[in-house]
Formats: sequence, structure tokens, C-alpha cells
Amino acid sequence: MRLVLERVGHAFLGRAVLEDFDLSLAAGEVVALLGPSGCGKTTVLQIAAGLLDPLRGRVQRHYRRHAVVFQEPRLLPWFTAHDNIAYGLRAAGVARAERAAIVAQRAQDVGLSLHDLDKYPAELSGGMRQRVAVARALAVRPDMVYFDEPFTAVDVGLKRILQDLVIEAAAREQFSALFVTHDLWEAVRVAHRLLLLPRRADGPVVARAIAGEPGRRRERDIFALVEAWSADPAFRELFDGRESVH
Amino acid sequence: MVRRLMAFIGWAGRYVWSAWAGACGLLCIAAAWQGAHEFYGSFVLPSPVETLHEVAAILREPWFVRAAGETAVRSLIGFALAVGIGTLTGAIAGYSFAAMRLMRPIVTVILGVPPIAWIVLALIWFGSSGGSAVMTVVVAALPISFAGGLEGVATRDRALDAMARSFGGGMWLRFRTLTLPHLISYLFPAWTTTAGTAWKVTVMAELLSNTGGIGGELATARALFDIPRVMALIVAVVAFALLTEYALLHPLRDRLERWREAGLPWGVKR
Ligand SMILES: Nc1ncnc2c1ncn2[C@@H]1O[C@H](COP(=O)(O)OP(=O)(O)O)[C@@H](O)[C@H]1O
Ligand SMILES: [Mg+2]
Repeated sequence: MRLVLERVGHAFLGRAVLEDFDLSLAAGEVVALLGPSGCGKTTVLQIAAGLLDPLRGRVQRHYRRHAVVFQEPRLLPWFTAHDNIAYGLRAAGVARAERAAIVAQRAQDVGLSLHDLDKYPAELSGGMRQRVAVARALAVRPDMVYFDEPFTAVDVGLKRILQDLVIEAAAREQFSALFVTHDLWEAVRVAHRLLLLPRRADGPVVARAIAGEPGRRRERDIFALVEAWSADPAFRELFDGRESVH
Repeated sequence: MVRRLMAFIGWAGRYVWSAWAGACGLLCIAAAWQGAHEFYGSFVLPSPVETLHEVAAILREPWFVRAAGETAVRSLIGFALAVGIGTLTGAIAGYSFAAMRLMRPIVTVILGVPPIAWIVLALIWFGSSGGSAVMTVVVAALPISFAGGLEGVATRDRALDAMARSFGGGMWLRFRTLTLPHLISYLFPAWTTTAGTAWKVTVMAELLSNTGGIGGELATARALFDIPRVMALIVAVVAFALLTEYALLHPLRDRLERWREAGLPWGVKR
């Protein structure tokens, strides 16, 4: 197991967000974490990535290096796309000369042209910025990647392309991933299995396996599965459109 | 390399070209000045041309060069101290809530004391040396840099900080790449204000403490009722202040903040 969360609990200002939450992620496995807005998905991700210390429970990480792709691109506005992609490498102490080659390779992986690398984030479109953020994460050769609703802000056509990019990279480089999303279709496309967080901290977590390998599933099957689960009472909270109140 | 050079020439050309608009503003002032001169006469207000002649005359005098040098050194030391101490303490206050609680009232008190009172105190403490001018500049200008440093650090982007931490970025890397560029955009207004203040306050302190420099010369010229010389000295000080801002600080800012320009749509670059 690359990542194990055991009986993790957390509360903000006394309001419980998570209770007794368990999660384990095997090598090369992509797990989608679903749930209505405000149910604590980002909190789980931050705890797993060590950005937030949980109040209760245990987190075990058995991997060399992780990377996080946030909901917003979180690029440094004063750095070019090239320097933004290189940021994780710089933090890891990779020499400048080596960085350039890795950046060029990763830019190509996510479909950025060499010409785009000299641009500042303000000169890039929203989709391109998120590509830069994905390239920055992949550049450090992580064996664990955390995605926090990374493609919420891009339009449907681009979303599919970016998802395929992630699916391809995960298969190629065998990293594990925790993919947070509130989009059932996205979860069914990118993940091996999914977890549905309840709105209330003490509610039941729904776990479902998704047949087939990400990237190998037929669009028809994906569509049928999304249809079936949309009608499933266990997934009701995902579609009732209410915000969580704890 | 050649591309870099071309880009630099292009930037320098645009920068110099933009001076035209500034020159127009200055000429409007000159026109108003000429009008006032024709109304009041040369004894009260010499014309711009007379003043320029006088400026040209004093520029050749050794005493003026020495006085200007003295004033420049004093305002530079005052500027450096005010900016250094102010920025440092402000940044510390931005990082630490306790430090902010402690330092805010001190700065408020410093702000509350009128500069003229500082000059009197400085005169008592430093006597008739350049120290009184320097101290006055520091006290008058320090709060601006303090506020800039405090705001800059306090408003740093926590989301970017979390991103850097997720990659294992250390304190020093995070300060250099995240906090500092953000801080600089807060510090530049503080620095330009301080630069202007430094010249003015130095001259004022020199005049009141009679410690040489342009302020000392101004006191002498006033005592002799040499109105053209008074005007010439004033014009010289203003020119120095403008020069510091537009020949030193603005180009520096443009170079450091090129990424900001990248975000502007075409045609609004300047
Ligand atoms: N730093 C914080 N301080 C206080 N409350 C927070 C904080 N972060 C999140 N919350 C609250 O915790 C709950 C879960 O948040 P989050 O994990 O961001 O939800 P999700 O990512 O599923 O939309 C929300 O009700 C949110 O208001
Ligand atoms: Mg979230």
C-alpha cells in the first residue's frame, strides 16, 4: 500500500468534517473521491498530502515523492510557464541545466508548445494554465499524485483531453493517484474505483469498483454506468445540489 | 543575446518616449509660473527663463556642487536607513502577529510627532552636523516603508505557499520566490515616496539647523534677498527629486516587474 489513512477524523472550529475515515491506495491505483460540495474532499486530500494535520487518526505514506494539482492552477505570476513547470524540481534541488530538459519533455507530454514556455501565466488561457500545473506535478516524477478537482473550471471538450492526459500519464509512469472530483462521469473515466463521501461526517462512505482499466473503457459503458449510478439512492446526495452544513 | 539587446533598446526607447507626457505637464507649470511672474514682477517671482539662467550659473560654481553633494549623501543615507529599517521591521510584523501588535503603536507614535519637532530634537541630539538631517529623514520616512513591508508580507498568497510546501519547498525558497516578488510591488510606492521625502526633508533640516548643504545655501540666499538664487536652488532640488524617481526607481521597477506588463492587453502598455 502506498498510502494508508486509518480512522482519520478532523474538525474545523469544532465542527466535525470527517469521522473515522479509512482509505488505502495500492501502487499504480487511481481512486476517485467523490462527494457533494463542502463535504470534506479537499480536507481528506490535504491530510493525505501532509498539508494539514488531522486531529485524530493515522496517516502512513510509503512513497518517495508526491505532487499536488490544485483546483486553481496556483502558478507564480512572476515566473514564465517554463519556470513554473520547473518549480517542483527547483524545490527538490535539481540543477538548472537538468531542469530544462525535463521541462521541455513534460511540456510536450501535456501538449504545450515550446513557444508557450516563454509566456507568463497572464498570457495563457485557463486550460493552458492547468496544463502547466499538471506538467509541474509530473516533472518531479512523483509516485503519488493528488488531484483536487483539477478540471472543474475548463470546458467539457478540454476536460476530456486533460483527463486522457492524466490517464495516460498514470498508466505510463505507474503513479498512484487520489483524484478528488464532484463529477461522476469524470470519476468513472479516470479511476479504478471510487469513494463517495457523505455530506454528514458520521454518514456512510460508499465504495464502488469500476470495471475495466481507465482509458480502455468504451464511452458507451461509461455512459451506462453513470446513468445507472445517477439513479442509485446511494448517490443521491451527489445530485441534490445542496451545500453541506455541518 | 541579440534578441535581449533589441528588447532592451525597445524598452528604453518606449521609456524615454513616455517622458513627453511628463514634459507637457512640466511646461504647463512653467506657463502658470510665467503668468504669475508677469503679474508680480521679477523681485517677488523671477521668470522661468531668469531662473534657468541662474540655475546654469550656480551649476558651474564649486560651492553648489559641494552643497548638492552633501545634501545628496545625507538624503541617500537617510533613504537607505529608512527603507532598510522600515522594510525589515514591517516584514517581521507581517510574519508575526505578536510583533505587529508591539510595533504598530510605536509607528503610530512616530507618525503622530510632527517632523518639525523631530528636527528640534535632532538638533539637540546631533548638534549642527549632518546627523540631524539624516535622523529627520529616517523618522519622517520610516513609517511608509514599515506599512509597505507589513502589508506586503501579510497579504502574501497562502495558496501559493501551500503549493510550494506540497513540493517540499523550504522557507528560504518560499521567501525568495513567493513573498519577495509580491512584497516588491508593495515596497515600490513606499520607496518612491521615501525618495521624494528624503530630498525635501534633508533640505528642510539643513535650512533649520544651518548645517550646510542646499538647505544651508537656501538660508544664506534668503538672508541676502537673492530671490533668483532661491528659485534656482528650489528648481535644483525638484530636479534632483524627479531625477531620482524617473532615472533610478522607475526603470528599476520596470525591469523587476516585467511580468505585470505581460498581463496587460495590447495598446495599454503604458
Ligand atoms: N480552513 C478552514 N477553516 C474553517 N472551515 C473550513 C476550512 N476549510 C474547510 N472548512 C470547512 O470544512 C468543510 C469541508 O471543506 P472542504 O474539504 O473544502 O470541502 P470540499 O472540498 O468537499 O468542497 C466545509 O464546510 C468548509 O466550510
Ligand atoms: Mg474542495
